[in-house]
Amino acid sequence: MTSIRRWLLAALLTALAIAGFTAAAATYFSARDEVDALLDEELRQVALSLRDHAVLDLRRLESVGANPDQRVLVQIWDPAFDRPYVSRVVGEGPMARTPDGYATIIHDHRPWRVFSLYAGRQLVQVAQPTALRTQLAATTAAQLVLPVLVVLPFLGLAGWWIVGRGLAPLGRLAGAVKERSPTALTPVPTAGLPVEVRPVANALNDLLARLDQSFALQRRFAADAAHELRTPLTALQLQVQLAERAQTDEERARAFERLQQGIRRATRLVQQLLTMARLDPDAAAAASAAVDVGALVASIVEDAQPLAAERGIALACRDEAQQASVSGAEDALRILFSNLVDNAVRYTPAGGRVQATVARDGDSLIVHVDDTGPGIQAEERERVFDRFYRGSDAPGTGTGLGLAIVSQVADMHRGRVTLDASALGGLRATVRLPTNASAH
Amino acid sequence: MRILLVEDDPMIGESVVDGLKAEGYAVDWVRDGQQAESAVTATPYALVLLDLGLPRRDGIEVLRTIRERRLDVPVLVMTARDTVRDRIKGLDTGADDYLVKPFNLDELSARVRALLRRAAGRAEPVIERGQLVINPATREVTWGGAPVALSAREYALLAALAERPGLVLSRAQLEERLYGWNEAVGSNAVEVHIHNVRKKLGDGAIRNVRGLGYTLATE
Repeated sequence: MTSIRRWLLAALLTALAIAGFTAAAATYFSARDEVDALLDEELRQVALSLRDHAVLDLRRLESVGANPDQRVLVQIWDPAFDRPYVSRVVGEGPMARTPDGYATIIHDHRPWRVFSLYAGRQLVQVAQPTALRTQLAATTAAQLVLPVLVVLPFLGLAGWWIVGRGLAPLGRLAGAVKERSPTALTPVPTAGLPVEVRPVANALNDLLARLDQSFALQRRFAADAAHELRTPLTALQLQVQLAERAQTDEERARAFERLQQGIRRATRLVQQLLTMARLDPDAAAAASAAVDVGALVASIVEDAQPLAAERGIALACRDEAQQASVSGAEDALRILFSNLVDNAVRYTPAGGRVQATVARDGDSLIVHVDDTGPGIQAEERERVFDRFYRGSDAPGTGTGLGLAIVSQVADMHRGRVTLDASALGGLRATVRLPTNASAH
Repeated sequence: MRILLVEDDPMIGESVVDGLKAEGYAVDWVRDGQQAESAVTATPYALVLLDLGLPRRDGIEVLRTIRERRLDVPVLVMTARDTVRDRIKGLDTGADDYLVKPFNLDELSARVRALLRRAAGRAEPVIERGQLVINPATREVTWGGAPVALSAREYALLAALAERPGLVLSRAQLEERLYGWNEAVGSNAVEVHIHNVRKKLGDGAIRNVRGLGYTLATE
């Protein structure tokens, strides 16, 4: 698992170390230049001061022993002697002659910086090992990098603590989230959260609010469903008891017939509850395909013909849109239109007429279902879309879910369902679906 | 005993009507709140069975209207609203009993009997009037200790007359207690039932009170 704390600390300490070493390297090179200039000048000054003593009498000069403390080595050549004067003996034999001015040579397996000049016929050479210069520059650089190295462990400890303090709000947020239970999705407190963490908390609260709302809807649906199941269950309970009490075969047959009806009704309610529960928007988006609404409505009308014939109703379908399709879930749209056609057929008295029409209106597709039934009073036309609401004049044993399902499917397809008075005298249900929009 | 049933669900309504009729009650059934209010004002019912989730006018409103009009008819609320708050509201609005759906038909009958008993000012479950003993729970009737087999109407007739000691009921009042709205009543139906009861219990069981109607023999 990656740790922000460990990563930050490692990155910061590495950066600090790199910075320290870079500074030390820069210091080393610039110190090296300065030391070069300084010591070159020293060599020249020594050489000049030797020259100013005019011609040196080599016979009076004695080569001194090897004294390593001496910073410079002086070597003087005189044509009168075959061996030069040497201020101290280093290595085997004398240093090679060098031309006027500065030079760097190898002597005694080491690099030397040499300054040479002629004093009359004598060649004066002042030399120094270059290692001295490197050493001086390195010491200067080390003096810079050493404090950094000493401070680094302390900085690491302090950094560990500081980063920990900085990340503490995240820990608090995690704790607050952990405390939430699926039943109590209250928002996490954002007071005192730093600006970097607040967006996380806000996004989280947003999600919690949406979850809470969705849970509340689910709970309400379950409660409503349980409540609505009481009615058919009450009927079943009473019908069973009446069947038990029946004295004659005739009574018993009648009681069982009613019991059958009660069971059919309870079954239908359960089916519609299932339909409703399954109509979730994500499923619609997944099943999104081009649906030929004209063909769909025609097939639904055909399926409803036996019921219409049984009830003595003329059921017809007209497609004026000519193969207009919408993008959506065919199963859901089938439920939508068959609920509307079924309702019209069920609530229209015998001898009546039901007409389904598919038409186009700009970017929308329109389906009308007209009937010659009793219609729905204007003030109830909105409410009948509510779950479990049954119109005050609604006969029979409807579940109060049919139109709620219709409206839910229309919403899924960004459409709209409205109820009006029909030119045929009954109710006109109108579904308007956008043709270019996909289900969402 | 004439009972008003207020219930919008056709299946539940049919079943309750059938169940109560089989026990000898006359039942009028209305399906919405407005009809319930007019029915309860027009007819003196022995009991009202009231659903709360009604079209047009909520059952609680109907109950409030009944009590505002000072009608003291016992009201049994039978509803799917099952929370404690709903029950308290129902009882405090003037209901005498509260039954949550789904309910058992036998329990409904027992509660109906209890409410009718209380409304008649009795505490004991068995009615005794002279030689006549009626057990409403089992609908068993004995006359001088001997069991008597009665039809539902005959039982209802005796139960109506036995409601209070010395009660005198006219033919019209008996008719009203024995028959619901949709039942065809022959012009002499009540007399026929009285005749049959007298045949089973003896002529002296039911007395004519001239100009007033019928009453039970008290000796």
